[in-house]
Amino acid sequence: MSQTALQKTFCAAAEAVGAEVTFVADVKAVVDYVKPLATGPVMIPQFASGERLGLATALKAGGVALSQSNLRQGAATASVGVTGANFAFAATGTVVLESTAEDIRLATTLPEHHVVLLDPSKILTDDLAAVPYLRTFHNNSPRNYLAYITGPSRTADIERVLTIGVHGPKRLHILLFSGLSNDPLEI
Amino acid sequence: MSKIRAKEYQGRIDQALANPKLQDALHKFGDAFLIAREKAFSDYDFEALREEIASCKDEVAENRQQYLEQFITNAEAAGTTVYLAKTADDANAYIAKLAQDRGVKLVVKSKSMASEETHLNRALESAGIEALETDLGEWIIQLAGQRPSHMVMPAIHMFKEEVAELFSKVTGVEEPAEIAHLVQVAREQLRQGYLDADMGITGANIAVAETGGIALVTNEGNARLVSTLPKIHVALLGVEKIVPTIEDAATIIRTLPKNATGQLLTSYVTWIRGAVPCGDEEKELHLVLLDNGRSALAESPHCKDALRCIKCGACANVCPVYQTVGGHVFGHVYIGAIGIILTAFFHGLDKAAEIVRACIGCRACVTVCPSNIDLENIILSLRETIGHEEGIGLGKSIVFRKVMRNRKLFHSLIRAASLLQRPVTGGSRTIRHLPLFFSSLTEWRTLPAVAEKSLRDQWDKIPQRIEKPRYKVALFGGCANDFLYPELGIDLIKVMNKLAVEVSYPQKQNCCGVPALYSGDKETAVALAEQNVAAMLEDDPDFILTTCPTCTMALQRDFVEFLKDNPVWAAKAKRLAEITIDAAGFIVNQLGATEVFKGLSAPEKVTYHDSCHLKRGAGVWREPRELLTTSGRQLVEMDHADRCCGFGGSYSLTSHPDISKQILGDKVKDIENSGATCVAIDCPGCMLQLRGGLEKKEVDVRVKHTIELLAESLS
Repeated sequence: MSQTALQKTFCAAAEAVGAEVTFVADVKAVVDYVKPLATGPVMIPQFASGERLGLATALKAGGVALSQSNLRQGAATASVGVTGANFAFAATGTVVLESTAEDIRLATTLPEHHVVLLDPSKILTDDLAAVPYLRTFHNNSPRNYLAYITGPSRTADIERVLTIGVHGPKRLHILLFSGLSNDPLEI
Repeated sequence: MSKIRAKEYQGRIDQALANPKLQDALHKFGDAFLIAREKAFSDYDFEALREEIASCKDEVAENRQQYLEQFITNAEAAGTTVYLAKTADDANAYIAKLAQDRGVKLVVKSKSMASEETHLNRALESAGIEALETDLGEWIIQLAGQRPSHMVMPAIHMFKEEVAELFSKVTGVEEPAEIAHLVQVAREQLRQGYLDADMGITGANIAVAETGGIALVTNEGNARLVSTLPKIHVALLGVEKIVPTIEDAATIIRTLPKNATGQLLTSYVTWIRGAVPCGDEEKELHLVLLDNGRSALAESPHCKDALRCIKCGACANVCPVYQTVGGHVFGHVYIGAIGIILTAFFHGLDKAAEIVRACIGCRACVTVCPSNIDLENIILSLRETIGHEEGIGLGKSIVFRKVMRNRKLFHSLIRAASLLQRPVTGGSRTIRHLPLFFSSLTEWRTLPAVAEKSLRDQWDKIPQRIEKPRYKVALFGGCANDFLYPELGIDLIKVMNKLAVEVSYPQKQNCCGVPALYSGDKETAVALAEQNVAAMLEDDPDFILTTCPTCTMALQRDFVEFLKDNPVWAAKAKRLAEITIDAAGFIVNQLGATEVFKGLSAPEKVTYHDSCHLKRGAGVWREPRELLTTSGRQLVEMDHADRCCGFGGSYSLTSHPDISKQILGDKVKDIENSGATCVAIDCPGCMLQLRGGLEKKEVDVRVKHTIELLAESLS
């Protein structure tokens, strides 16, 4: 599948499970996207592509309150978590985050919004294509916590009615950002 | 057999049947599930996936010590503490002691069937530790003080009004019975729990030997919180969750959600390997690997395939019995078809002894099982074990062992019955009412009378006019064709003669043995298999035809299995299986003679009911439809055409008539809604059930065997 086709399949699959996919051109667009979502502090853990982008600085300059250090303490009140992604699966609309660093896990589980920045060149066909990367993660470090995230948190436990946002994020925003990162081993 | 246990079981059935709302919900769920599932698998080869899962799980079961050691070595290398629990009590004691040693007051849990299996919450409670379930469904049933009624959707039996009442007690204000609101209440109420808890307990869907890590397949996100926030993470999982490689895990991950809920993938798949950071420290990760009967299951030659189960719950979703009575009747901790088997090994035969009879044998579960487990076959073998342990009951024992094995006695008694029934039939072909304590049997369906003259007794007088027969075939009539519906045999001769096939009826044939087998008396079934192999092969026919798909399965599959180690019979049974074929399949596939019937009939609206054992046993369902449409009839498909009619032999007569009645009711509705004036079937059992139900309800739809309809075409 061509990269364009992968991107198209990814967007359709992600939207089918309730993720919101948007294209962004630069860091300003990210700030503009995040700002209206931020009804409380924005959790921004350290991640390589975000550091390069100067994302935290840009958000702060844009007037967004950040929760950057000791995310555990700020966990209960944060409204948005912003992270990158290692790669994604077109077939299922999934983003994959190597979440061994605890801050990544906190930012992607507790706030109501999870905003994830993804370079569309890192969209793989499906989970089987990811197995070699998984093995690399394991080889690089014996201890790890890897997450496949497909849409927002959901349940159908009451009368089988699909309901979004039970324990994890109520909304999953995927911002496709070309040129952000071409390394599947980094977030 | 324990009378008290049986009585309690019947009480649970009665209670469930008195809850039409539950039945309605489970029926709708079953329908929606099949649609979603089909869509999810549309780009995938389900058969290939399930074969892969089966062979991977078999590989692990055969070399389980090796994979267990590999898994433990890798897990420990990543800083995990592994504890191997032989029993449920061992697992509970380990976790409770760990919690006590670390001064844990509150535990948050995400969904773990293994912890339901061990009754972990009770154990923690007695150790003075509070356990809080965070999966929405699990929390609901924890508040209600119940147990799950489904493996994937534990609270599927409850309604929003009941949930609102439970939640109102927690919050102290009246919560409206509105689902989105209730989900929000759960979010808010449970949030603090994650932050306060000192220990998080999860299950695991997969354990990977190659890495020593586990994978969790979830939707709500609670398992991610449970495994992240508290300082200690304990995962409790069965040893059967181990797979060799990441690729094997990936195969399960791409199959499980599709087969469980019809999702391409769940919201979250979480791979955890080793002790990861937690605050300023390192997390303490314990994996408790639970045996609790799994090794015994792996050693059981007839049941071991059940260890392949990946706990998707699909066998319950499609089960007509589950849809009728729910998981609190049809299950113990684990529910549905797989639940019967796991209960026997994890919780004891006694706990499984009643529910093992609840399976109607329709094989709907077998077609959707993602691990290719022949659940029906294993359940039959468990019935046999329980039959050995507890006896099958004096009445059945006399009928099967003393009467059925003695063909002459058996057949003389049926002949006598045809005379004795006169007072209730008044000479008619159906029995509408039975006196006294038998009356409940004809309350909801009429029963056929035993024919005045059986097929075998009139066979020689039926003229067959073929000069040069293409084939000489022998008919295996089966009891129903022989003694209840001899006219079906006469029609078969008519149809076959038209196709230049001569039919004989070997007089020494006996019952196929399935009724005995289904009741747990395999010994009688084997004795009957030998009698029938000898009888049917005596004149060396080209083929053996059947009109009953349950007999077909006995001849094609069971006899071979029963006699495979018997040097006298093994080869003969194999030969018998090879030449046995159902009548419709014979006409279409062997003779290629569909066109003979072309346009011979009026365009009557006919709907087709798939008999369980014909479609899911012999794989025949296109053939009769092809014959009917070619003959000029207008085929209108009913909804759920391949859902069981509820007959199941003694299931509907003695063991579970009240469940059978409900399943028949569903079928009658589907037939009525189809608008057909005739329902075609290829099974005398379905014929009995459907005629009985339609007649009792005074629905003007005739029920005909495909062979009878073809004979009509020739008239």
